[in-house]
Amino acid sequence: MDFCYGASRALEDISLDVPYHRVTALIGPSGCGKSTLLRCINRMNDRVPGARVTRGQVRVKGKNIHDADVDLTQLRKQVGMVFQKSNPFAKSIYDNVAYGLRIHGEKNKAVLDEAVERALRHSALWDELKDRLGASALALSGGQQQRLCIARAIATLPDVLLMDEPCSALDPISTLKIEELMSQLAREFTVIIVTHNMQQAVRVSDFTAFLHLGKIIEFGPTEDIFTNPREKLTEDYLRGIFS
Amino acid sequence: MDSSDLPRRPELRNLIIRNRKRTILGFDPQQIIKYFFGANASTAVIVLVLIMIFLVREGVDFLPTNRHELQTYRQAGLEFCDLVDRPLREHQTLSSSLRQCVSAALEPIVKDARERRNAAFLLKTQAEEKAARQREALENALEREPPPAEDQLAALRKDLQTAAAAASQALIYPSLFTAEETALFKAQLAALSPELTDLPPFIQALSAEFMTQDRAAREKYADLVTAQEEFDEAPDDLHELVDELKEQALGAKQSVEESHALAVNRQQLLEAAETTADPDEKASLIKEAEASVGEEVDLTALTKELTARTGELQTQIAAYVESAEKAAASLPDDVGTPDAAALLQKAKKGLPAHVQDMREAATALESWRVDKPVSMLRVIGAFFFGTEWITNSSWQDFFGFVPLLTGSVVIALIAVFIATPISVIAAIYTNQFATDREKELIKPVIEFIQAIPSVVLGFIGISLVGDLIKEFSEVSWLQWIPGFPIQERLNMFNAGCLLAFMAVPTMFSLSEDALNNVPRGYIDASDALGATKLQTVFRVIVPAGISGILSAVLLGLGRVIGETMVVLLVAGNRIAIPDFSAGPGVVFQPAHTLTGIIAQELGEVSRGSSHWQALFMVGIVLFTISLLVNWCARAVARRFESQKA
Ligand SMILES: Nc1ncnc2c1ncn2[C@@H]1O[C@H](COP(=O)(O)OP(=O)(O)OP(=O)(O)O)[C@@H](O)[C@H]1O
Ligand SMILES: [Mg+2]
Repeated sequence: MDFCYGASRALEDISLDVPYHRVTALIGPSGCGKSTLLRCINRMNDRVPGARVTRGQVRVKGKNIHDADVDLTQLRKQVGMVFQKSNPFAKSIYDNVAYGLRIHGEKNKAVLDEAVERALRHSALWDELKDRLGASALALSGGQQQRLCIARAIATLPDVLLMDEPCSALDPISTLKIEELMSQLAREFTVIIVTHNMQQAVRVSDFTAFLHLGKIIEFGPTEDIFTNPREKLTEDYLRGIFS
Repeated sequence: MDSSDLPRRPELRNLIIRNRKRTILGFDPQQIIKYFFGANASTAVIVLVLIMIFLVREGVDFLPTNRHELQTYRQAGLEFCDLVDRPLREHQTLSSSLRQCVSAALEPIVKDARERRNAAFLLKTQAEEKAARQREALENALEREPPPAEDQLAALRKDLQTAAAAASQALIYPSLFTAEETALFKAQLAALSPELTDLPPFIQALSAEFMTQDRAAREKYADLVTAQEEFDEAPDDLHELVDELKEQALGAKQSVEESHALAVNRQQLLEAAETTADPDEKASLIKEAEASVGEEVDLTALTKELTARTGELQTQIAAYVESAEKAAASLPDDVGTPDAAALLQKAKKGLPAHVQDMREAATALESWRVDKPVSMLRVIGAFFFGTEWITNSSWQDFFGFVPLLTGSVVIALIAVFIATPISVIAAIYTNQFATDREKELIKPVIEFIQAIPSVVLGFIGISLVGDLIKEFSEVSWLQWIPGFPIQERLNMFNAGCLLAFMAVPTMFSLSEDALNNVPRGYIDASDALGATKLQTVFRVIVPAGISGILSAVLLGLGRVIGETMVVLLVAGNRIAIPDFSAGPGVVFQPAHTLTGIIAQELGEVSRGSSHWQALFMVGIVLFTISLLVNWCARAVARRFESQKA
């Protein structure tokens, strides 16, 4: 698959089979196209003028997401996303988590309650927050906010969860919590995570793809890549010779 | 990297700079620049404070001045007269609605006859006009001395006859008349001549017909007609008495004012005498001052004369109340048309309250005390809660500020009510849906509105919007709107529309900014969850920007409250509290405003008079309102800032 922002090609010859219900890490130097690749999967690039897939296809569960009969809202319901900077709405915790369900037309209070509780449990927030669901989400700590964003993304029960450097703005403890979460999440979701933190990639992911200048240099089980990379470029990057 | 690679910092540099530092007139240039900027910033604050001080200095004297005036109002007995006169004024409104009720009741019966009579008169005038030249010629000939020859007259008569016959043929006869009537009337019109002194018999017949109908109608509603007439005449005696007393009181007031003016003059002369050095001038000034003494006005004696007639007044009031109640009791229930019934209901509802007021006035006369001092609280209350703003009155000036405030508030509310949806929706559209080219078009156009001079908008209001509203208000299928059809082209709604137009740029730009300030992450998050554009806009962007939008609306309100020119030109300038019983239709009534009254009256009043001071009081209130509105807007916006952080 190729992908262009206007005239400049950001991704080239990408071919990647993301394994089902596993954590896949995308690593690579800054500007190599990790975020772009991630955003291709839920078509977040659609609103960037001129951005388009120029060759090949993106398939989610075997379906080409650029087909005419694909409903963008449904696609995004199935492919959740968590951003680098936590971005909870200025609403209550409950409303934040319920937002995704509500925009897809869910009004039944009981269903919402249940989904919110499940999502919050999944993101290990339930015990901390169950008594203050009505409080503003902006009053939470950075780590809690990020976990809340994860809860919000998984509340709609997506199949795929995309995470773009979810821990880069967090302290080590919060990072640890989210990493713990990730292995849990992999039981139910297919997770793709972009990270700059090699240790993190090793700790959480089952598979790793190394990107460089818009190309996939290497893709394989995380252990293999980190213990004996096949490509010289990968090895150099992992050793920190360039960044 | 090796630290030796770093560019080496020249250690001596700091010292050199310090040595180079110069001073200007003993000041450090840095300090001067700082003070320069500081001074510019504080000028605004200082000017604001000065404005406030100036307003207050001119305005606060209003209270003692007005207190003195109200004191005179009481001591001279004007207040005493008003005790009766005020409730008596209600009689007029009641009486006029009864009068309207009578004509509405008679209308269906007499309508045909009247219309036929009027149509006949109209046709006669038209026929006469058409043959005017011949008619005049004959008239002149008849008046000539000596009279012209008979054959000459005959020729003129013939001319007129042919002209009149032609005219009567050419006229269009309405279907009010039957064919025979038309033929008959046509013949009579053809025979019109200045030598006939009587009206054409057909018209006479029609007039008689109308009179009969009218008499019959009055007979049918005899109860109503007599009740109305009785009620109309009921207060005549009382009126006469009150007018007499009022004249007395006014005389007393004038002599008090004169002697007060003389005393002030004397005081000034004496002060001038104190300060002059020249003994001659001093002597003359003192002499002048001594001459400037009015005769001592014995107010107590004068007002005694008034209060002595309390009993007489009370008897008259009792008589009036009795006849008014009698008239009210004899009002019938059924008056035919719904119009008349509505008017009757209005009068019937108003009457008991009026009677009650009159009774209360009678008791109030007794408890009225001439020597009761006017408290400061009462003066303040008279300003802030007074419902009358009456100036240049031959009777008594009142400076009650409620009518102006209601005018300003209602107009501002109308404006905000109209402008808010327009600007907010436009802002949402521009910010979220518009293409870049549309943005480039919409933003400058809306911002350009601000550049339109308000006096030009005033023109538009008078010449265009007023007519438009009036025309719309007469469209038959719009009659369900309360207040339609409207009476006045210049009214609060008209002013509100124009002010809304003026407020749009402020509200639009600030709302758009607020939407722009919504964090990008919110939009990303909402999009990534599969929200449609509309869902994102209305569930995330607008709620997140709501404080900013609110603050934009408040700033728009501030703009509207302070606007002067448009309201002065367009609001209709009637100083009265709008009649809120008209429901939402109240917006189509004219009103005056806080800003308008200052602009209109300040140029015409003498400096330092109570009227002048009252206008400054209005200015203070206006200033305070504006400050408050702006402060609220800021408070809301601050909340918005802190939320975002
Ligand atoms: N909206 C855009 N318009 C045009 N070019 C873009 C846009 N977003 C990204 N690019 C370009 O695409 C390339 C890949 O960017 P991308 O954001 O995917 O990098 P990244 O691997 O996520 O980097 P980082 O680790 O710093 O986040 C870069 O060269 C960038 O300049
Ligand atoms: Mg990135």
